[in-house]
Amino acid sequence: MIFLLLVPLVAVFIAPLLSPRAASWLSSIAFSVPFFGVLYYLFAGFPPREIIFSAPAPVGEFYIFVDGISAIFSLSICAVSAMVALYALPYMEHRFREMGVNVEEEFRKYVFIYNLYAASMLWLVHCGNLIMLYVFLEIMLITAFLLIYMYGYGNRQWVGILYLIWCCIAGVLTLVGFLIIASENGTLSLDAIERVGIVAWAFIFAGMIIELPGLGPHVWLPWAHAEAPTPVSALLSPLTVGLAGYIMLRVALIDAVFFKVFTVPIFIYAAISSIYAGFSVFVQTDFKRLLAYSTVSQMGYILIALCLLGAGGEAAKFGAMGVSIQYMSHAFGKSILFCSAGGLIALFGMRDIEKMGGLHDVVPEISNAAVMGFMNLAGILTVGMFGEFFILRGVVEAFGMNLAYLLPVVFIFILSGWYGFYTMRKVFYGRPRSSVAASHMSAYLFVPLFVLGALSVLFFFPPFSSAWVPELFKAVGMGGSSVVSGGVSASAAVGGGLLP
Amino acid sequence: MNEWIFPVLFLVPVLSSIPIALAYRREDIVRKLPPVSVAGIFISLVCSLYILFHEEFMDKSFSYEWIPQLGIDMVLRIDYLSASMGVITALIAFIIAVYGLDYMKDDYRLPWYWFFFNLFTASMLLVVYSDNLFLLFVGWEGLGIASWGLIGHWYRDDDDITFVGVPERRLGPLKLWWPPSLGGWRAISTIRFGDVPMFLAIAAIWMLSEGHNLNISEIDWESLFLKAGTAGTIIIFTMFLLGLFTKSAQLPFSEWLMTAMTGPTTVSALLHSATMVAAGAFVFIKVSWYIKPWHLHDVPGLEFVYMFVLFVGLISALYGALVATGMLERKVLLAASTMSSLGLMFGTAAASYWIHPDGINLALLVAFWYMAVHAFAKATLFLVSGHLIHATHGRFSEGDSEFAMKMKPAFAATVIATTFLVGIPPLTAYWVKSAMDHVFEHLIEHGMLLPFLLLISASLCYSAILARFLSLNFFRGGRPHHEHVEGCPLMKLGYLMMVSVVFILLYVIFTHEETHEFVAAGLALSSMAVGIAVTIAYIGAVFKPRIETLSKIGTFFNDRMLLPALNDVISPAIGFSVAKAVNIGNRGIDAFCNTKVMPALFDMMSRAIRAIQTGYLKDYTKIVLGIVMFFLIMGALWGVMP
Repeated sequence: MIFLLLVPLVAVFIAPLLSPRAASWLSSIAFSVPFFGVLYYLFAGFPPREIIFSAPAPVGEFYIFVDGISAIFSLSICAVSAMVALYALPYMEHRFREMGVNVEEEFRKYVFIYNLYAASMLWLVHCGNLIMLYVFLEIMLITAFLLIYMYGYGNRQWVGILYLIWCCIAGVLTLVGFLIIASENGTLSLDAIERVGIVAWAFIFAGMIIELPGLGPHVWLPWAHAEAPTPVSALLSPLTVGLAGYIMLRVALIDAVFFKVFTVPIFIYAAISSIYAGFSVFVQTDFKRLLAYSTVSQMGYILIALCLLGAGGEAAKFGAMGVSIQYMSHAFGKSILFCSAGGLIALFGMRDIEKMGGLHDVVPEISNAAVMGFMNLAGILTVGMFGEFFILRGVVEAFGMNLAYLLPVVFIFILSGWYGFYTMRKVFYGRPRSSVAASHMSAYLFVPLFVLGALSVLFFFPPFSSAWVPELFKAVGMGGSSVVSGGVSASAAVGGGLLP
Repeated sequence: MNEWIFPVLFLVPVLSSIPIALAYRREDIVRKLPPVSVAGIFISLVCSLYILFHEEFMDKSFSYEWIPQLGIDMVLRIDYLSASMGVITALIAFIIAVYGLDYMKDDYRLPWYWFFFNLFTASMLLVVYSDNLFLLFVGWEGLGIASWGLIGHWYRDDDDITFVGVPERRLGPLKLWWPPSLGGWRAISTIRFGDVPMFLAIAAIWMLSEGHNLNISEIDWESLFLKAGTAGTIIIFTMFLLGLFTKSAQLPFSEWLMTAMTGPTTVSALLHSATMVAAGAFVFIKVSWYIKPWHLHDVPGLEFVYMFVLFVGLISALYGALVATGMLERKVLLAASTMSSLGLMFGTAAASYWIHPDGINLALLVAFWYMAVHAFAKATLFLVSGHLIHATHGRFSEGDSEFAMKMKPAFAATVIATTFLVGIPPLTAYWVKSAMDHVFEHLIEHGMLLPFLLLISASLCYSAILARFLSLNFFRGGRPHHEHVEGCPLMKLGYLMMVSVVFILLYVIFTHEETHEFVAAGLALSSMAVGIAVTIAYIGAVFKPRIETLSKIGTFFNDRMLLPALNDVISPAIGFSVAKAVNIGNRGIDAFCNTKVMPALFDMMSRAIRAIQTGYLKDYTKIVLGIVMFFLIMGALWGVMP
């Protein structure tokens, strides 16, 4: 297992020595190796955890592991990182030329930071110690900061620092939470922690709600995601922010006391946050900013699914599955969409959707890729369908047939479909609002997007989903039985009543 | 047993359209590949026929593992409904595909068209055959996305002939013309509004059913409803029905169907006959088939639900038929009439609650048969109008008897399709409609007269509008401004093949056992009276398709009683006002945290701290002395404290 994870790490140091083209391919292959490795484990069974070393209390064991949940996150991270690495080749070359710097030389720096960034995310989802997890979290934040600071658009240095400050606050709060856990349990090893107190949870939640982000702290996200160079946006938005959901999920699977106490307030907050951001999408004029708001809305799904963990029983299981699948579906969809937006920037220097329209004529490839991206967000014929289905099941399990809870969730899902196809029409169909000439487009700019799109469809159908969904179900078992029992669950019995 | 037939049935249409999708940059190859896609549909047709004519498939379920741990499996159920509907779907799709070889010959974006056309067909077949609700919903979503792709196929919005409505016609803030890309958006936005609640209903059924089963035919519906309670039953059904009503364009979700006419005619034909809109009504019939609501009169809430569907259906039927009386656009008139027919299907199927059968429920059987007859007749009319649009270069009805003589096959097909569909004795639909009358007469015994009256008025109106279509295009529509009547052999072949099926259906009605009640109902005196009334309405409308004195109300009907305002004015106004409000909120938070307040506070603090650093020794001495003083005082206080 650990060798799989070492491959990208080795690539971090080798890639800068190569030419841009070779470096891109190397990065891509380096992330494909763990992708296929984890895929193999899904079918052949997971290996046991591998201990790196054992530290004395209160740190505990450092180990690497893979289970159904990690596998989903890992597959998403590897697939997106591998594809975006290829996409970045023409894109960053274009960006460097635009900035007037030496392409070859700058690409070395870029590819080093990029690979380190992606590799830290991959390690994060496989490591079994909260301190280790925190270290990777910080590496991820700093590398992303550097990429924005160095290669972003607009007022990039200001945006970079803005991002850094928000994420530092998030990181520190989370760290405090982890340290409290350490003092309470005498260990930070994931499988040894027994309980997470409400205070520790409050810190972790506060930190991760900035990172996720929820309504309020969400204002950093549109800046960072819109002004980052597109390959970075295509990791930031699909992969990085959702990892906050991963961290909360891991802690909640140990002890969901915080969600148990605050189920309803968190649900309300998540629903408002998602609907709020969903409506924000409609009035954005910058394509990347629009996508950034859609990310906030999608992260609301994750928060809704997370708060189901507080309800316990079947609801918790389906909530936990919803978090993981929603992460994957959003990762595929949003990386495709950011890359589509980036394609328009690279080809036409266009970001303002008020000036777009009818672009399907000139760039059918990008337009069709964007359709797949929005299909992922709306959960149409892609892995997102499982995500929506499980979240809906979890919500019904948790709240019964209470419309006050059901309708907001339904509306959020509807909203995602609406803004998706609304944007499609505005950007790609109808009469063109400004004249653009068809120009030659590098295959790197669209083929990776179709690979991701195809994955999102393939992962929905057997044999892949026949492998990963049951594994995921096992992983979220939370000590209970790993298979749904033949009988009716206890929570199902409340179905008819209008629960408060 | 030849179970391999199922993967072939669903996958071949999709796979066969992948080559053309991949070859999108090579115009020369793309022009050669459509027959491959058509062949894929043909294979589906052969499979569906094989299933229909092999008794060993009948009333059996075929299961392929997907996620058995969760009860999500690929379960297909062959029963009377699915076996017949599968053939109807595949046959209609195949004929339309053949017609499309001609119709779409010179069009742009053929890979897109054929990919979504085949996906559309495969999705509908999945909806038809699947027993597992999750699998059914996969097909359902496929229908949604494919319909969006096809309705907005002519995405350039640059050709008036692809629009719906009169360009530049406005009523206040309401624009009454719709380009294809807008048609696509209206379709998908309406459909999403229904799909997600339906998905929720499926999730709720999944939770409540015994053993978390999702198979329609295996769920113990009675215990499920009892467990859900009255409110739960009504909520689950309402959510489920939102999906069906949006897909089948029942009130108030009918608008998307009217503007779906911006798609190519082949798409309209497929959309209106055997896929998409039929899916909603079909699923309702299928679900009722297994719920058997007529046995569940002790389940609270169920009667309310069926009553609700009955009236939504019948009112939609009347609305559709009424608005069509004012319409002049060929395809939009047919679209409104389709909505009307679907309303009748819903209404009739809902009436099954009050029918107590020994074997097959007559109401469901009638609803299904009406769907079958309607599918072939309506597809014929759409294909004809596609040819007419081709021949006259216009979307609005025009044509006189001389034109009719030049377009003999189209004329003949229209006469047959309309007369066979409206219920003129003794043609096909008459027997089905008679049985429908019989069902609603039965409702009168339960004290419900209104449904029967709605049915009769909708039927009369319906007869008149189809006669009007015939008349305005072949007798009294004036001389066409443009005539191009030659060629298009595949198009003629298409609608002639399509219309010939209604004769086969007539034959089946008389020879099959389960439909003998139709014949009995058709021979009843009351049915004959209705039949004669329908005939009179038909003949009247043929001779007098437009009544000048009613032109004002006709315009109101043509504007679909201003229902477009719901989609185009009211909903966007609400949505955008919320969006603008939240955007102000975003700016506010942004200003507070990122750009104005917090940075200013930090600036102030930093300036205050820097103000101390003057560089003069006396200032620093003062600071140190001050700190020393502070500690001395604190120490003194500490000392005196008890």
